[in-house]
Amino acid sequence: MKKISLVKLFLIFTKIGAILLGGGYVILPILKNEFVEKRALIGDNDLLDYFALSQTLPGIIAANISMFIGYKLRGKLGAIIAMFGVIFVPFFTIVFLASVFNMFTNNFYINSALWGINIAVITLLILTIREMWQKTDKNIFFYLIFITSLLTLIFTKLSPFQAILIFTSVGLIYKFLSRPKEIK
Amino acid sequence: MIYLQLALEFLKIGFFSFGGGYATIPFLYHISQHYNWYTLEELSQMIAVASITPGPVGINVATYAGIKTAGILGALLATVSEILPSLILVLIVSKLLKKFKDNFWIKSIIECLKPISCALLASVAIGLIKPELKDINGMILLGILLALSWKSKKDPLFYILLAGIFGIIFHLFS
Repeated sequence: MKKISLVKLFLIFTKIGAILLGGGYVILPILKNEFVEKRALIGDNDLLDYFALSQTLPGIIAANISMFIGYKLRGKLGAIIAMFGVIFVPFFTIVFLASVFNMFTNNFYINSALWGINIAVITLLILTIREMWQKTDKNIFFYLIFITSLLTLIFTKLSPFQAILIFTSVGLIYKFLSRPKEIK
Repeated sequence: MIYLQLALEFLKIGFFSFGGGYATIPFLYHISQHYNWYTLEELSQMIAVASITPGPVGINVATYAGIKTAGILGALLATVSEILPSLILVLIVSKLLKKFKDNFWIKSIIECLKPISCALLASVAIGLIKPELKDINGMILLGILLALSWKSKKDPLFYILLAGIFGIIFHLFS
């Protein structure tokens, strides 16, 4: 198999980070172009496997899949290099914007736009929920966990972390008790 | 001290947020209410800026939250802390690819995390809508944006630009 240098790996992921707008779902065609079509370093099926796994793992999907590819090509160091590559340009963009943004907070146009953008953020949240909702197979177990955790979150001051710990434990106990016989 | 807290909070996000960039919002929302690092309004701005600049949204918003909290060192710390758990998991999973997919416990944990993540996001959406309910214009805009995405979700950029322009036009005429 062809080998890619760490510098080249970093540069490719820097470029991907710089042109990536959106998130996990946008990165897939870009990666396919760079690693499957242009360089034939990764097989199409491998890429799809990594994509599925990246969605399964916690964390940021685009970062996860970049690290899978980095690891596949150059081992542990490759994963780290890929990670730093993909966040390189975004990091400095945000640092720059954050430092100039404060200058505009008293501007009429900016404030009016921000009023609308608040609503856009709520819309994006609702659409994310819809997307997650549509992508899951929903059974009684799903609804039970969803409703109890939603009610608990609304009426108590539980942190997301606490909620995840509590309801995952409850769910796992249920799963364990109702498991098929052959699993020990 | 603030650096330690910051790192810890973002490690938690990296380990327990599930479903991509916007799934980190419930954690960031909780931070805004629990610590004095940034306000809810600032969080909204951060999400907007993170959505329309290059790079993964979840990472951008972590960088922004970090810089708001503790300057450039905070930005670096928050970003790296958020990715670190994924890095460790990717290294482990890459080695046992096959076993991972079929493991009973891992499958069960994922099955639990899906509804909880939906509930976390829903509770934050409710928390954010509540103060806006009295603002009729805001509700009209929300209705328009949701109606536009009835068939399919558009690029985040689309919603943020459209809503921003709507906001400017609306405030110019009132």
